[in-house]
Amino acid sequence: MALLYGLLWRLLLLLVHINRALVVWLRVRLRGWKRRVWERAMAGLLLPVALAGFPDHQKTTNQNPDANTSPGTVKRLACRRSRLLSDGRSLEKLPVHIGLLVTEEEPSYTDIANLVVWCMAVGISYVSVYDNHGMFRKNNSRLLEEIVRQQQDLLGGDGSKCNVEFLSNGADKHHVISCRPTVKVLSPEDGKQSIVQAARQLCRSVENKEKGSKDISVSMLDVLLRESRNVPDPELVVKFGPVDSTLGFLPWHIRLTEFMSLPSHRNVSYEDLLGVLQQFDSCQQRLGQ
Amino acid sequence: MSWIREGELNLLERISANILKAGPMPKHVAFIMDGNRRFAQKKNMERQEGHMQGFNKLAETLRWCKHLNIREVTVYAFSIENFKRSKDEVDGLMELARQKFEKLLEERENLEKHGVCIRVLGDLNMLPLDLQQLIAKAVLGTKAHNKCFLNVCFAYTSRYEITNAVREMAWGVEQGLIKASDVSEPLLSACLYSNKSPNPDLLIRTSGEVRLSDFLLWQKARELHREHQALQQLEADRACAAEHLQSHGNGKPASGQRRREALLQYTACREERIQDFLEALKRKRDSFFNDLWSAGVSA
Repeated sequence: MALLYGLLWRLLLLLVHINRALVVWLRVRLRGWKRRVWERAMAGLLLPVALAGFPDHQKTTNQNPDANTSPGTVKRLACRRSRLLSDGRSLEKLPVHIGLLVTEEEPSYTDIANLVVWCMAVGISYVSVYDNHGMFRKNNSRLLEEIVRQQQDLLGGDGSKCNVEFLSNGADKHHVISCRPTVKVLSPEDGKQSIVQAARQLCRSVENKEKGSKDISVSMLDVLLRESRNVPDPELVVKFGPVDSTLGFLPWHIRLTEFMSLPSHRNVSYEDLLGVLQQFDSCQQRLGQ
Repeated sequence: MSWIREGELNLLERISANILKAGPMPKHVAFIMDGNRRFAQKKNMERQEGHMQGFNKLAETLRWCKHLNIREVTVYAFSIENFKRSKDEVDGLMELARQKFEKLLEERENLEKHGVCIRVLGDLNMLPLDLQQLIAKAVLGTKAHNKCFLNVCFAYTSRYEITNAVREMAWGVEQGLIKASDVSEPLLSACLYSNKSPNPDLLIRTSGEVRLSDFLLWQKARELHREHQALQQLEADRACAAEHLQSHGNGKPASGQRRREALLQYTACREERIQDFLEALKRKRDSFFNDLWSAGVSA
């Protein structure tokens, strides 16, 4: 009997994998389809729409934002920039700080750079990039180069303006932010470890009789955890990949963050990102009330 | 309505349970019980009735978990943020909690039969005193049970839990039980309300919202691998031992042998300090519940 149940379990697992593969395949195929058809298809596959994300939506540009340089490009790029900005303005609620959480093993720097540039163009002030192994942190400079390159290609930003400030961990001694938008590169060390360091600092001041243990409050710890970064909590985190976990992304800061998933960051399109932002727009936060 | 719904699963449920149990199962599941008020609105009920129905569904869920051999369940019953709701609603929820905990105490034999250990996590000082006393009775009465564990988060937020753990460590430093340099990830975990539970494997939120709402933020975050943790601790110990040697030395550089001895001695002392501190913390927490219980008895 146990053998039979084991076999049935394996069959169920196979069905789940087929389901996932089908969703990914359909996303690519049905890019042009209307939202209602997509919802029906997903309902047919028994997958909550929130998990699948929308491949398309009515409101926005149908043009592929990927540019190719040719005469008249400057005007087209300026058009694209203003279109992206108006897309952002058309949403009632745009996150001030967005997190891009990559759970896939081999990150693609070009795709992440695209996402960062689109987020900034749409009007999001702070973009955090995170992966489980700290690879973005290790390859800081490569990511920055890709972002600058994509900015040129996609939006035609001129190098003289300070459009991107790159913030890394204090230990790397990178510059302090002076203008927005800002890109932050995070790794697992920014998670629990930074909470432990803040705790150690507070205990040290108690040891030195600078404060008492009863003086320690949530706001005190919050200030310490924000000191080196000075950015608001992420309102939205977009998770890429099949792993259903935050993988240690800033545990203290994500208490009210909305989590939305996309199957993969490879070949992600602007429409995918805009779909997620529209979903975020429709979320209702009651804050305990 | 009872906390433990008796009764077996029907045929289809039993077959599904057996199929699921053939694969890996989570040992600890956490639930955010959301959507009571929206459910009440949809069914044209009073809000209070929505909360009651929510509790009934929880009891049914606990029965399913028992049949699926999920030994530990944590539920988010009431957040510190929920105190912002209208006085009527908060009073209604407190009254519901009172009724449920009283019912729990009536079912003591049943709980003993199933070996259910109830723990309540949160800042209990924020609750009315009579409710605190009921909770103390429930917690103390089921303390010895160890077949399955139900953690009810009441007057809880994760940030408050983490801050409280830091405060406890600071208290330990104040009392001279530990040093600030002893603070580490495992020690912080050991000071949380949920220190007796393993980290949850799965978190389920009902009603379709996709946020954590300040629930188990530390416990759900990935922790450093054991080897990495051990390495970090070793480095820290080495640094402290070297500092100690230098300050107590005679100016000459210490030999390799001497450094190794100092390191071993320092590590042993640190571990003993931490053990003593954790025991003192446990005594402090137990006496909080014991005092409440004796106050309740004598009242």
